[in-house]
Amino acid sequence: MATLKDRIDGLRKTFEESLESADAKGLEELRTAFLGRKRGHVTLLFEDLRTVPPEERREAGRLVNELKDHVQARLAAAEARVRTSAGASAAAAAGRPDLTLPGRRRYVGARHPLTLFEEEIERIFLGLGFAVEEGPEIETDYYNFEALNFPPHHPARDQWDTLFIKDDLLLRTHTSPVQVRVMERSKPPIRIICPGRVFRRETPDPTHLPMFMQVEGLVIDRGVTFAHLKGTLEYFIKALFGEKIRVRFRPSFFPFTEPSAEVDIECLVCSGKDPSCRVCAGTGWKEILGSGMVDPQVLKNVNIDPEKHSGWAFGLGIDRTAMFAFGIPEMRYFYENDLRFLRQFGTK
Amino acid sequence: MKISLDWIREHVAVDIPRPELVDRLTMIGLVADTAVEREGDLILDLETYANRPDTLGHLGVAREIGALLGLPLLEKDWPVAELAEATADVADVQITAEALCPRYCGLVVRGVPVGPSPEWLRRRLEAMDLRPVNNVVDVSNYVLFATAQPIHTFDFGRIAGGRIVVRKAKRGETLVDLDGRTLALAPDMLVIADESRPVALAGVIGGRASGIGDSTRDVFIESACFDPVSIRKTAKALGLATDASYRFERGADIAFAPRAALMAASLLTQMGGRATRGLIDRYPRPPKTRTVRLRLRRIAELLGVDVPEDFVVDVLSRLGFRVEGSHKGAWRVDVPTFRVDVSREADLIEEVARFYGYDRIPAAAAPAGAPPSAANRKRERLARIRETLAGQGLDEVINWSFADPEKEAAAAGGRAPVPIRNPISNRASVLRTTLLPGLVENAARNLNRGLDGVHVFETGNVFSWDQDEKHREDLHLGLLSAGLRPGESFMAAAAETDLFVVKGAVEAVFEALRFDPAGFAERDHPSFAPGRALAVLCKGQEVGRLGLLSRPLTAAFEVDRPVYAAEIDLTALFGKTPRPFEYVNVPKLPGVVRDLSFLMDRSVAYGEVARVLGRLDQPLLEGFELVDRFADPPVPADKVSLTVRLRFRHPQRTLVAGEVDRAEQEIVGHLRSALDIQLREGKIDIRT
Repeated sequence: MATLKDRIDGLRKTFEESLESADAKGLEELRTAFLGRKRGHVTLLFEDLRTVPPEERREAGRLVNELKDHVQARLAAAEARVRTSAGASAAAAAGRPDLTLPGRRRYVGARHPLTLFEEEIERIFLGLGFAVEEGPEIETDYYNFEALNFPPHHPARDQWDTLFIKDDLLLRTHTSPVQVRVMERSKPPIRIICPGRVFRRETPDPTHLPMFMQVEGLVIDRGVTFAHLKGTLEYFIKALFGEKIRVRFRPSFFPFTEPSAEVDIECLVCSGKDPSCRVCAGTGWKEILGSGMVDPQVLKNVNIDPEKHSGWAFGLGIDRTAMFAFGIPEMRYFYENDLRFLRQFGTK
Repeated sequence: MKISLDWIREHVAVDIPRPELVDRLTMIGLVADTAVEREGDLILDLETYANRPDTLGHLGVAREIGALLGLPLLEKDWPVAELAEATADVADVQITAEALCPRYCGLVVRGVPVGPSPEWLRRRLEAMDLRPVNNVVDVSNYVLFATAQPIHTFDFGRIAGGRIVVRKAKRGETLVDLDGRTLALAPDMLVIADESRPVALAGVIGGRASGIGDSTRDVFIESACFDPVSIRKTAKALGLATDASYRFERGADIAFAPRAALMAASLLTQMGGRATRGLIDRYPRPPKTRTVRLRLRRIAELLGVDVPEDFVVDVLSRLGFRVEGSHKGAWRVDVPTFRVDVSREADLIEEVARFYGYDRIPAAAAPAGAPPSAANRKRERLARIRETLAGQGLDEVINWSFADPEKEAAAAGGRAPVPIRNPISNRASVLRTTLLPGLVENAARNLNRGLDGVHVFETGNVFSWDQDEKHREDLHLGLLSAGLRPGESFMAAAAETDLFVVKGAVEAVFEALRFDPAGFAERDHPSFAPGRALAVLCKGQEVGRLGLLSRPLTAAFEVDRPVYAAEIDLTALFGKTPRPFEYVNVPKLPGVVRDLSFLMDRSVAYGEVARVLGRLDQPLLEGFELVDRFADPPVPADKVSLTVRLRFRHPQRTLVAGEVDRAEQEIVGHLRSALDIQLREGKIDIRT
């Protein structure tokens, strides 16, 4: 009898210990271990009752039944506890929240990549003491062309193929008219950038669209030289693309600058190593902006004396630069507004 | 412009490695888009500049290479086998439109056996991607691509009376051109005519009747100079662009005309013809040599580098400029006639810079003493708007400024759209008067691609004619919300959007710019569904609209779920004065909050409650907001239950319960008499 009681006490102790740390699975195992119909401890105890002398059997039976009730009650309670605390509150009830669940997040909208890129450019120039100026998108021939030293009927206009509203009213082909308007109304020193939408009568292809974003810049002061143009634009390009990027200036022609320079940066895609590179065509260089010393005729047109003041200007297509910077193959992606495209720039 | 290295070598003995040549040309501004090896030759496709017609031939490019490498231009003789017969005895040239034709040279080559060109000539033309036609036509193309001077050859037998008249076209005249098109000539177009009719469109294209054919025996060679603007206008008007017009409209070298005629004559006599003696050269008013003053100091002033004096003289001379003695640091520079682009000191400085090398000009920091950069208030406001709307969960889009007139009409904004005279397509033939169609298109596109919600905004200009036929350009903000709004996590599922998403975004923008509170008035508008539209007001003036978009507008883009949108005229809004930013100390004394729950007729709008509360003269009432609204049972069907939270505070002292009770009673009284409210069980929370 004493041995049976000891066995029962021992089993009770083991049960309590196991129960304490048991999860749902543990509880199931515990139930099998104690109440299993073949090898369960309690089942075995009942079987062993047969071996107990008849006079002690009653007391022993009571003890075994007590254990069975106890185990059943405790298991039922524990199982209920585990059941009711299923899901999120389960772990909480068990004192252990599931920290692997995803967090609560509010969706924050993504800024358009062109706006982002334009602002990045703006910030660099603001840091250099430039002001941001804007102007109308519908312009007159005078501001878009003539004041910028494009004579009427000059072939130079071909490169700025124009969408017309009326004979003398057009969609600006560049933001240069803003430069003219600012020079007309303010005296040097002038230090501005002019971002904005511009329009050209271009047949759409991967790198040409009839509308795109541009930023132009203008500096007018005494003693401004081509060396300043180079210094400022090199600083700008390195700020935008990284300190290590190689930059080159080469001669070009624009009616409104003299001398004029095209600025190339090294091809970020192939570094000049791929003769069939889609971006640089194997030259290793990618044209990024046009610039030059403001043509004396342009200064005269706005009553600035080119003997006293000189200046430089630049113009850059934001779309194409952003395409190059992000590796975007088609310019039209910017205007298709596929949210799967746009939302990527939420992290830019 | 195609350039053959073999051909260049006729003019300059260039012999540096080909990649180096291509690089060095790039660095003087002659950029090859492609450089292709072909049968031992190198064919460059050079970018052309509108101001450099001299580089539209091999001679001009050779001159640049010579200046670059310090090599002389090779002179070549063009001997002509002449007849005894004088050109002037067989042909006559008369210019009646002198302003449009300042020089005209010509001569006749008799007995030209018209046939295939010799191999060397065919090779030259094939390098230019031209198909050889016959020796006469090929010679004129050869001269053009060699020297950039276009010449024209006529079948002299077809020139009535042997008379060439350079005149303006007469009304009603036509010309069948070499390609067989019948050109209707306008009176401002310059033509080459014989005694009776036009035989060529001057500087643009020849006539078929006088063209070179198998039966041609005698050839009249024309080498002239035409007014660039006239040529351009004519070519544009007729939709023609030829190698000749391309060069003439940029400006031909007026001094070179006779030489080009002789080159052609020489080649044709080498093929068996005999030229008439002497050249007819009508050149009534030779222009004076252009002279430009160039100051050494000015070079440094513009370039920021001291270029040695002898370099300047050397390079300009090699380019064909005549540089006369330095006097007080200034030269007199005579500009050669082929450099039509050079007329000012800056133009010469560019030449110096090109050959000195842009890479040798130092990069200098900008001089100090920069003007203060003025803040751009408009852009700051736009930045704030973008930030606010991104925070509201809207993505930024950028749409075309062009619009499809039909879809524009579906938006029915009521403004007269500005048409584009030469649009890219008739579906983009007007400028947008509203941002809404673009945004709906964005919704359609994204919903069609399987996104379950589209919530976007755009800022951009819209355009219209005003009453005085003047164009307007107004900056607008557009917002759109359609489909599901993302939930915060799996615990808060996505929910269908509604009008209040858009309204809330508008309110947030107004607040962010301190134009708050935004005003709203129920007002129908053709872009929106009836009874689901609000006018957006700032200080009583309408500055925008919002609501559920009308069926016709969304149907135009095949969107069939509810789309909510707003459009705000930022030009109008930014014209208002925002409330100033004011700092207010955080209250140190506790306030009292009471929630007032009441039933009201469902027909009464919450706006009425807000209006009554807003107008109360209750100095202790700091503010109020709606915290609950429901209209389900047990609330009677014709009623609605509202809970409004009232915030009381006294600026100087702690409130006592009695005075808050009194204020509350007064407020309840006001609401009762104004809106007939019934207080629900008076559960009043007291909190601070």
